[in-house]
Amino acid sequence: MKLTILKEVLKEGAEIAGKITVKTFTLPILQTIFLNAEKNFLNISATNLETGVIWWGLAKVEKEGKICLPTKIFSQLVNSFPQKSISLWQKDFTLFIEGEGFKTQILGTNPEDFPIFPQIPQKNPIIVDSSSFCQALFQVMKIPSPSSTRPEISGIFLNFQGNVIKVVATDSFRLAEKRIFLKTSLPESYSLIIPQSAVRELISIFGNETKELRIYLSPHQVWFESLMSEISHPKIHYTSRLIEGEYPNYEEIIPKKFNTVVFLSKEEFLAKIKTASLFSGKSNEIKMEIDPKEETVFIFSESPGVGNYQGSLKGKVKGQELKISFNHRFLTDGINEIKTPEISFEFTNEEGPAVLRPVDSEDYFYVVMPIKTS
Amino acid sequence: MTQEELWQAVLAQIQLTISPANFATWFKDTTISSIKDGVAFISVPNSFAKEWLEQKYHKTIFKILHELNEEIRDVKYELSKPLTQTIRKSFISFKESSGQLEFSEFEVDKETNLNPKYTFSNFVVGPCNELAQAAALAVAENPGKVYNPLFIYGGVGLGKTHLLQAIGNEIIKNSKTKRVRYVQAEKFVSAVISAIRNHQIEKLKSLYQVVDVLIIDDIQFLAGKEKTQEEFFYIFNSLYERNKQIVISSDRSPRAIPALTERLRSRFEGGMIADITFPDFETRMAILKAKCQERKVEFSEEILNYIASTIQKNIRKLEGALNILIAYRNLQGFPPDLKIAKTLLKDLTSSTSKAITAKEIIKAVAEFYDLKEKDLLSNSRKKEVVKPRQVAMFLLREELKSSFPFIGRKFGGKDHTTAIYAYEKILKEIEKSENLREEIALIKQRLTSGEI
Repeated sequence: MKLTILKEVLKEGAEIAGKITVKTFTLPILQTIFLNAEKNFLNISATNLETGVIWWGLAKVEKEGKICLPTKIFSQLVNSFPQKSISLWQKDFTLFIEGEGFKTQILGTNPEDFPIFPQIPQKNPIIVDSSSFCQALFQVMKIPSPSSTRPEISGIFLNFQGNVIKVVATDSFRLAEKRIFLKTSLPESYSLIIPQSAVRELISIFGNETKELRIYLSPHQVWFESLMSEISHPKIHYTSRLIEGEYPNYEEIIPKKFNTVVFLSKEEFLAKIKTASLFSGKSNEIKMEIDPKEETVFIFSESPGVGNYQGSLKGKVKGQELKISFNHRFLTDGINEIKTPEISFEFTNEEGPAVLRPVDSEDYFYVVMPIKTS
Repeated sequence: MTQEELWQAVLAQIQLTISPANFATWFKDTTISSIKDGVAFISVPNSFAKEWLEQKYHKTIFKILHELNEEIRDVKYELSKPLTQTIRKSFISFKESSGQLEFSEFEVDKETNLNPKYTFSNFVVGPCNELAQAAALAVAENPGKVYNPLFIYGGVGLGKTHLLQAIGNEIIKNSKTKRVRYVQAEKFVSAVISAIRNHQIEKLKSLYQVVDVLIIDDIQFLAGKEKTQEEFFYIFNSLYERNKQIVISSDRSPRAIPALTERLRSRFEGGMIADITFPDFETRMAILKAKCQERKVEFSEEILNYIASTIQKNIRKLEGALNILIAYRNLQGFPPDLKIAKTLLKDLTSSTSKAITAKEIIKAVAEFYDLKEKDLLSNSRKKEVVKPRQVAMFLLREELKSSFPFIGRKFGGKDHTTAIYAYEKILKEIEKSENLREEIALIKQRLTSGEI
C-alpha cells in the first residue's frame, strides 16, 4: 500500500470505524480495523461480528494493499496529525505514516485474518432521509430493555408500508410509536426488528449525514448505505444482524375508547412532574387527579420521612373524573419526545393504558401503563 | 456415527490446525443441523461466521466430513436462531417491588382471559370424557338455558381447563356480544382480598355481575376461604337468578371439597355434574395422534404405542413426552427409534410408578381432609379426625401392604386390632358410600401424580 490522503478524510474514517462497540472477544483481530487501498479509495472496516461498518474515502493510491491495525492507537494517532495531506505506505505488516513535522510506524497484523463481511444484496433499496430516520429511531431508542424471555421486544421494530415507516419500541410497561411519512409509496411492505445496540451505533454513524440513506434487507441481516456527496460511490456501509421472531401485534393494546382526555401545556406539565418526582420515593410513583368540573389536573407525591408535594395545573378536560398513578420516569420519557407545545393525555381507567400524544400532529404516540393504586 | 459425533470429529481435527482464539470465535455454537441428499448443513451463529467458514475453512471441513462419511458430497452453511441474551437482574427486582402494571399478554384476550388455542375441535373425545364434553357443548350452544351451573371435575392434566376455555371460546364465536369471563379461583381469591383491603368490594361484585358467562377454574381453592365463598355466593346467586351461565371446575366432586359451605355445595349440585376420568388406551393414542398432527410431526406407531401404554394418568405428561421426542427430532434431523425413545422418556415413565411411602400417605390424607398430620397421629377421638385416620390406615394396608401391627405403631402406638377394625370398616363402607369411594380415589390419584 502506498497512498496520499487528507487528514480530515482519514480522521473521519477512523472515527466511523471506532463507533463499532468493541466486545471482549478471544480473537485479537476483532480489536483491529482493516485498511484497504484499492483503486482511488482507502477503505476502513470494523466489526464485532454482530454489526460491522465499512467506510470509503478518496485517496491518491499509488500502490494497492491491505493491513490490520489496532483500533485505539490508530484513531488516537490520526487525531493528533496536522491539517495537511498525509502519506501512508506499508512494508509487510507495518504501516508507515508521514506528514509535515512527523513520522510514525505502527505494527499491524495479517489482513487475511480479518472477518469477511456478508455481501450486500443486489436489489432495490428502500430510500429514506438520513436525519429524519435517525431522529425517529432516537425518539424511541431508549425504551426497550434486554429481556431473555422475550428477545423480540428487546429491539426496535420497523414497519415499512405504503408511504409510512413506523418505528416502535416497548418494554411491556410502555410503548412508543413514531411515524415517518415518505413522499412516495413503497412497492412492497417490510418489517424487521433491529437490536437496540445496533440502533445506537446506527444513529451515531449516520446521525450527522444529511443525504439519503439506503436500506437493504435480507432474512437475517440489514444494511444501511450512504453515498459520497461528490461522486456516486458508497461512503458508508453499516450492517447488523436482525432479531428473529415476531413482534407482538402492538396495535391491539392501544385503547380505542377513552373515558377521560386532558389537554395540557407540555412545559408546565413536565415542570410539575419534575417537582413531584422529588417526593416520589423508591417506587417513582406520582399520583394524578383529574377534575373535569374545575378543569384542573392535580399532581401529588409523598415519600414517608421526606415530605410531600401537591401541584395543580389548568387544562382542557373532557370526560370523567379520574385518579391514577404513574412512574414519573415513564411519563417524562414520553413527554420529552413530544415536539408540540400542547399535549393530550388520554385515559381508559385507573388500571388501563393511557396515551400521550402531540396536539395537531399525527406522527407520534406513547402508551403507558399506570401503577396499581394502593 | 450420529450428527453430533460427526461434527465433534470435525472440530477435533480442525482445532489442531488453527489457533485457539480463531477456533473459539468461528466454531463456537456451530453444529450440523441436518444432512439431506448428501449435503451437510452447518448451522452458524452469525453472518460473519457464515462468510468465514464458507471462504476460509470450506475445503478443510468438507475434506474431513467426506473422509468420515463418504455419502457427504457437499457442505452448506446456514444461520441458526440467535441465542437469547442474559437477563439484567436489576430490572427484575424493579418489576417485583412496585405495582407497575404491564401490558397484558398479547395472546390471551384481556376482557375474557380466554386463550384462543383451546377449542372443541381440538378436544379429543373418549369414553372417559364423553359426558363432560357433551354437557359442555350443550352449554356452549345454549348458555344459561340447559345445564346451569355446569360442574366439571376430574384429576390433574385430564382436560378440565381445555373444556372450560373451549366453552368460553365457542360462546364468543357464536355471539360477539356475549360477555364471557374466565377466571382461576386462585385469582378470584386474591381479587377479593385486595378488594377488601381497598374497600372496593362493591366494585368487584359489579364487575362480575355484568357478565353473561362466568367460568371459574379450580374452585377447590375456595375451600376454607369463607369470606371469598360468601362473595362468590352473592355473585353466583345474582347471575343464576338472571339465567346467566356459570361453569365451574374442580379436582373433585362438590361433596368431596372440604370446608365448602353447605349453601354453595347444594347450589353446585343443583346443576349438572360431569366427571372426567383417566383416558383409556385408545383415547390416549387418539390424543397423541392429534397432537402430532397439530405440531406437524410424525412418529412411528410403535413409539406412540409405547408412550400411550406407559403414561396412563396424565394428558399433560403425554404432551411432555411428545415434546421431548420432537426436540430430539429437531436436533438430530430424524425421529428417534424405539430404543432411543425409551431412554429419552426414562425420567417421565419412571415417576409414574414411583414408590409411595407411609409418610406420603399420611400427608396426603391430612391435606385432603384439611387436618394437621399431628392430629391424624394423635389419640383424639373427635369425629372429624377418626374417619380420616381410618382412611389413612386403610390406604397404608391397601397401597403398601403394611402389617397391622406396623400400622398401629405408626398411629401413636395403637393396638393391631384397632388397625384391623379400621381397615375392615372402610372396606365395608366403600361398598355403600359413593362419596367415600371417590375420596379415596382422589387421594390415591394425588399420591401417584406426585403432587404430594
